[in-house]
Amino acid sequence: MAFPYQCIEACNRSRGGNHDWTLFGACGSRLVAQSSSGASSIWPTAENVDVKDDAPEDEPQERPGKRIKLSPSADAPSTSNFSCLVVSNDKQYLVAVTAEDKCIRVFQIDSNCQLHQLSQRCMAKRPCSITLTSDDSTILCADKFGDVYALPLIPSAEDNLNDTLAGGPSEQAAEKPYTPAASVLTVHSGRNRKVLEEQLKQASKGPKKIKEPLKFKHELLLGHVSMLTDIVYATINSRSYVITADRDEHIRVSRGLPQAHIIEGFCQGHEEFISKLCLTESGLLVSGGGDANLFIWNWQQYRLLEKVCIRDYVLRHYRAQPQLAALLPEDEGNFKTAVSGIWSVPNSQSKKDVILVACEGVPALFSFQLGDSSTSGEAIPLHGNVLDVTFVWPSQDACTAVVAVDNVHKPGSTTETHDDEGPSRLQYLSYQQDGTWGEDSIVGGILKWFNRRASAGNLDGRGEEFDTKTKARLDDEKAVRDILYGVENLRKRAGADD
Amino acid sequence: MPGEPAKRTKREAYKDSLPTDGQNAAFPQKKFYRQRAHANPFSDHSLTYPKSPAEMDWAKYYPAYAVKTEDQDRQEKEKEAAVESHDQGQTSGAVVKGITQPVEIADIGCGFGGLLFALAPKFPDTLLLGMEIRMSVTEYVQEKVRALRVQNAATSGYQNVSCMRANTMKFLPNFFAKAQLSKIFLCFPDPHFKQRKHKARIVSYTLNSEYAYVLKPGGIVYTITDVEDLHRWMTGHFERHPSFERVGEEELEGDVCVEIMRSETEEGKKVERNKGLKFVACFRRIEDPPWP
Repeated sequence: MAFPYQCIEACNRSRGGNHDWTLFGACGSRLVAQSSSGASSIWPTAENVDVKDDAPEDEPQERPGKRIKLSPSADAPSTSNFSCLVVSNDKQYLVAVTAEDKCIRVFQIDSNCQLHQLSQRCMAKRPCSITLTSDDSTILCADKFGDVYALPLIPSAEDNLNDTLAGGPSEQAAEKPYTPAASVLTVHSGRNRKVLEEQLKQASKGPKKIKEPLKFKHELLLGHVSMLTDIVYATINSRSYVITADRDEHIRVSRGLPQAHIIEGFCQGHEEFISKLCLTESGLLVSGGGDANLFIWNWQQYRLLEKVCIRDYVLRHYRAQPQLAALLPEDEGNFKTAVSGIWSVPNSQSKKDVILVACEGVPALFSFQLGDSSTSGEAIPLHGNVLDVTFVWPSQDACTAVVAVDNVHKPGSTTETHDDEGPSRLQYLSYQQDGTWGEDSIVGGILKWFNRRASAGNLDGRGEEFDTKTKARLDDEKAVRDILYGVENLRKRAGADD
Repeated sequence: MPGEPAKRTKREAYKDSLPTDGQNAAFPQKKFYRQRAHANPFSDHSLTYPKSPAEMDWAKYYPAYAVKTEDQDRQEKEKEAAVESHDQGQTSGAVVKGITQPVEIADIGCGFGGLLFALAPKFPDTLLLGMEIRMSVTEYVQEKVRALRVQNAATSGYQNVSCMRANTMKFLPNFFAKAQLSKIFLCFPDPHFKQRKHKARIVSYTLNSEYAYVLKPGGIVYTITDVEDLHRWMTGHFERHPSFERVGEEELEGDVCVEIMRSETEEGKKVERNKGLKFVACFRRIEDPPWP
């Protein structure tokens, strides 16, 4: 069985009326690419893999999801799993995040569909979501600690020079004798005095090792005291904004660079964690997470326009399907949804915004047409849980949603796995002029290799080896689950502590 | 820990013994409300907080300022209309439920409330709010507010001061609208000495953006600490933040709040007894620059 694509991202180019596209998929720690012309590639390439194969004793450590500190060297390929893919606005670069090593990787996309890694920058805290400024100069990285950092997409020589300088003073600082921040004047209780004595004793033993600072340009822009879950960069009439969402129900609207320290306002109303933000074609903001509702905002005025009960749509869909209805809890009041994805459908034809919504562990997509007064939606049943969605344009006025589905777990479950070969890892839905979605076999035909890749794996003759590794990965069910399903974990547990 | 149950039993017995008619004029006894001085600001305490400032039930905290019933009906209607158009974030004035004027002074991490009770008579026409993350300590201040209101019923004293439990590091914008506050006090905050705990400090470059958001231009953040290292940290982070400027020494000497902050906080008194040092620094919220 193949490992599913946990994230996919398309790059659409149009040259003189010719439309071509490239699809990138992250499959565990590998990136697979295929273009509409048929070119394809896999990263890391076989040569890179050779380097790794010299050290087979590393093998047991390769299981995904393991919490180990990795210090990747420049030439060794990563064994960390990709968690986020973003194509630059100019379609030249793919920016990817690998989760376990907290690394932001920038790849150049060449005309032959090959990926060339230009940089890898490991952050201090795990990036949860990244985006690019509209001019592609800067990566905005929202992390698990609640902070947003700005990094140049392509660090200039000057930046690097400054980095070496930046490394200097802190090393000197480390040699300075340690003095506790507390003193006999500030410590009042007997026990604390003892601790202070202990600290001074420790200090006399020599300087403590301090964490090495990041050796590349990164600027702290803003921060929440809560884990960030999504970040959006918006430009409206020459004003730019950074919109951030966190686990504590906040959607914050800040000014864009260089005034990101100014908070303009908050979109308030969520009662559970927020996991996804999405700007529609017309500029509305849609947010979703652990709440039963999706929220639709006029975000520039911090005004809630409409709530759409996504939970009801999911519930109705489950009730209508016998296999899914069996999964519903006895008391339907306990049925909860966690939004794992919201995508704005690029559709220049219609005046109305169309979005697709996925919930974690739900084998369907929900398509909504955002109306002036009321939003109407429909469920699109799929043969596996939705993991990610991206859009390709085969021609001027056609748009196809490529959906990555979970071929490992049974539809509707995030724990139970298929016993036999699971379903296809991708499904293709084309958006019809009448606003409905239909199977697209043409794009499906082009992506046959992409879809089968890793299970057949005959491109470089190393497929079998990949397969053994894939198998080892799939055997670790919990690790697989951790890569694919993390949204419901954001929910706060009642009375966790006090 | 041994001894815990006895302590709890005593506390419960004490609290049960308190009269419930609301007319009790006796101050609460601090020894029944003590709580360890540290709280984890990152954990999901079972806190209650409004979804937005517009939904805050302020009348519960400032009953003397509660809007009269006919006003309330009108305000309810207005509120409904406001939910329709929901533009509370945009306007700078606060849309506050149930009271006639918004809170303007916040003491973040108010502890046992020494500063609040000293400030309240000095600002009789302004509403002051203490915010404290520790539950027992909050209860103590609330009890003391109640007792002071009973004692001063004739003059309606202390009606302008109240206290609530809150994690302001996470939820400050849930309580206050943009540019609502004129003063914020950060007195003797937890120093969080360990380097890896620095994000838990009440002052940081990123949190300062939230203080700037709830403060009016010209509003002031007051800080005081006995830990020089923390003083340098707070000063550094505020001076680096483009929305703030340091208030000069001369101006500080003329400010009654600074005097009270030095002498009336419980920590301030403790430091006095130990002949420790006190470091004061204040920062003014400056007007936002035009968009680039």
